[in-house]
Amino acid sequence: MSSRLLTVSTSPHLLGRATIRSRHLETMLALLPAVGFGVYYFGGPGLMVILLATASAVAAEYLAQRLTKQPVTVGDLHAALMGLLMGLVLPAGAPWWLPVVGGALAVVVGKLFFGGMGGYPMNPVLVAWVALALSWPEQMNAFYQPLSSEWYVSETPLMMLKDDPSTLEVVTRSELWWGLVPGAIGATATWPLVLGGLYLVIRRIVPWQIPLGVLLGAAGMALLAAYTDPTLGELGYETFAQQWSIVTFHLGAGGLMIAAFFLAPEPVTSPVTPWGMFLFGLGVGFMTVIVRTWGAPVDGAFYGVLVMNAATPLLDRIRPKVLGKIEGTA
Amino acid sequence: MSILSLFKGVRLPRSPEPPPPRPLSPPDKVIIPLRQHQGRVCEPVVEPGQEVLLGQVVGASEEFEAAAVHATVSGKVEAIAETYDPAGQRVPAVVIANDGRDAWVEAEGAPPTLSEVEVVQKTRPTRLLKRLREAGLVRSGLLGLPLHVDLSPPMAPRAYMFMTGIPVVRPIDTLIVKAVDHDPPVVTNQAALAEAGEELALGIAALARIAGARRVVIVLPAGVEPPGVAQLAARHEWETTHLDGRHFPYAVDNLLVKKLTGRVVPTPYGEPRDVGVVVEPLVTALDVGRVLSQGRPPVDRLFTVAGDVAQPQVFRVRMGTPIARVIEAAGGLPVEPGKVILGGPMMGYAHFDLDTPVTKETDGVVVQSAESVRTFQDQPCIHCGRCVAACPVGLVPTELGKLCEYGQFEDAAERDLLHCIECGCCAYVCPAQRPMVHLLRFGKSEVLARRMEQ
Ligand code: SF4
Ligand code: SF4
Repeated sequence: MSSRLLTVSTSPHLLGRATIRSRHLETMLALLPAVGFGVYYFGGPGLMVILLATASAVAAEYLAQRLTKQPVTVGDLHAALMGLLMGLVLPAGAPWWLPVVGGALAVVVGKLFFGGMGGYPMNPVLVAWVALALSWPEQMNAFYQPLSSEWYVSETPLMMLKDDPSTLEVVTRSELWWGLVPGAIGATATWPLVLGGLYLVIRRIVPWQIPLGVLLGAAGMALLAAYTDPTLGELGYETFAQQWSIVTFHLGAGGLMIAAFFLAPEPVTSPVTPWGMFLFGLGVGFMTVIVRTWGAPVDGAFYGVLVMNAATPLLDRIRPKVLGKIEGTA
Repeated sequence: MSILSLFKGVRLPRSPEPPPPRPLSPPDKVIIPLRQHQGRVCEPVVEPGQEVLLGQVVGASEEFEAAAVHATVSGKVEAIAETYDPAGQRVPAVVIANDGRDAWVEAEGAPPTLSEVEVVQKTRPTRLLKRLREAGLVRSGLLGLPLHVDLSPPMAPRAYMFMTGIPVVRPIDTLIVKAVDHDPPVVTNQAALAEAGEELALGIAALARIAGARRVVIVLPAGVEPPGVAQLAARHEWETTHLDGRHFPYAVDNLLVKKLTGRVVPTPYGEPRDVGVVVEPLVTALDVGRVLSQGRPPVDRLFTVAGDVAQPQVFRVRMGTPIARVIEAAGGLPVEPGKVILGGPMMGYAHFDLDTPVTKETDGVVVQSAESVRTFQDQPCIHCGRCVAACPVGLVPTELGKLCEYGQFEDAAERDLLHCIECGCCAYVCPAQRPMVHLLRFGKSEVLARRMEQ
């Protein structure tokens, strides 16, 4: 008996099946519908951008970790996921170097500069997105009209909304939710994102509080805007159904859905406690509509996520109630 | 609470239902640890070379927080040696060689046996308690208290009670008999339902009488409806309810009490009896019944062998049998053995010495082959919050784990580290596979050590 060595460790002696790699793999799976729609709508240019961004992110992580003599963590698929997300939030008309720079920026500046997995304070994909948007605004706005035989750059519904509130009536909701309007490759079609997001919620990879908070926050703020904003007032919306159409516009437009299900719930930069998560989501939703209605940038979803990322340590202080704790004791 | 709690904890994988218990022949040699409970070590009252009979006291203590230990075979005392208790601590033990006669010790002046529930219900509680104490009964389960300690109201008023105005001694009014096991696939209590009968009724009645409980609740595993128990319960006006043991850790005492009575057991130092509830496992209730109706201390117990063995099985084994022998009877260790865990897979202790005996505290053993052993990883926390969602106590394990990892023990204590029940849910769900319970235990021991110094 004694010749066979047994392992001894602390409990628990059972572990769940989830690993960091499996989380990333499943998130990529959940993005597949969005990728599929993106490639279908934007054809070769769209596929090119996605592939370049992914490849560049993975290569950047590999090279940077080799150069700095760190253990190479490409195997956990985080770089691949970041690259994929990067590609999905870029326009199809981006020149080839834009996704390459974006993927590398996200990994090197957004993630590795802050100590790698678990260390960065802000969503690295969005950090890179903001850097690109500020540096090359023209290329970053090269949105194509989907499913056209000849690619040409055109205005997204959100850009049109800035100039003219009547866009709310021009764009049909089914066009908007199926993504038949100009926009970023993966963020335009809303339904596939919802599908993938619900899968992640059911698999408990995305905590339900964050997407719910984002959607509720955006809806609430959109209604508030409908009541208070004078330009929207000119449309003469009286009934609730009309005002609700503003909500469906905001939920379906721009990057809100991809932010709600894929960018805001990024684990490292979102809170961990239930109420913290919900408030985080609400904040993202509020910010999105505020920026869209009254702010200078076209879309606020990504800025909203970044701002709320900064509030994460604060929100983490909202703790659940401890069972059995008697107040005043430690 | 109950709806939210559905999303907390973890769902353990399903394991095959073991066949009904079967007896295992007594071993050639038993190892009787002198402490088979949480509390003081007994003094040996026999010497090497001495002949002992079945049921003879071999270790006793003057202390209240100790349960006497008895010989579980007849034969010759070989030595007073050392062995390991279920938690892996060293403990002195009496080693007895079996002469195979199983000759019972003559009990002199023993009180008459009791076999009627009505009689038990009229017997003075102290009399009953005395019998249980003489029989050395211990609450079955890791870190079980001696039964006479477990059934008494707390001796001394506790500091936190003064602070909060909870009555110093709250009379016990509820007895919960647990036939559901908190850490499957160790399903000893569930298996004991097969032996439910008059003795069980006697045992439950005695427990209720001693504790002074009016309300008795028998918690059955979900989907199990043993006809015998339903009859017993109906006859004596006991309640039955069901609980899914795979929803870990909701069959652990404090959470069970919360679920069934709505009372919150104060942590970290409280026990269910502080809020007027006594929780006893079914095997213990059965033992109580046996002790009263047979007038003899228990010498054997139900013991589950589960996991990667050829035939997972519940055995009725003599206490003091080395676990190696029980595992052998269930088909032996796998070719590449990995872990041998006393208790259950979530809260049990991994052992390396297969001569560790079966004691009053151990419900069973789980064997893992080398391939099914899962190891923790040295990865950073990804802040995903799965552990927060899973923690049944409402802690923020990710933060506690990091604080303990970096030696900020006082900060961790301020964030309620000591309320952790070490259930392991956080480690189970963690995608980074961090050794959460290891870190939390380390932090706790450091905090307690520092407080002792002050
Ligand atoms: S922190 Fe403690 S009580 Fe909470 S899940 Fe982890 S081990 Fe269980
Ligand atoms: S489950 Fe693990 S990785 Fe996730 S927050 Fe908790 S400790 Fe960190």
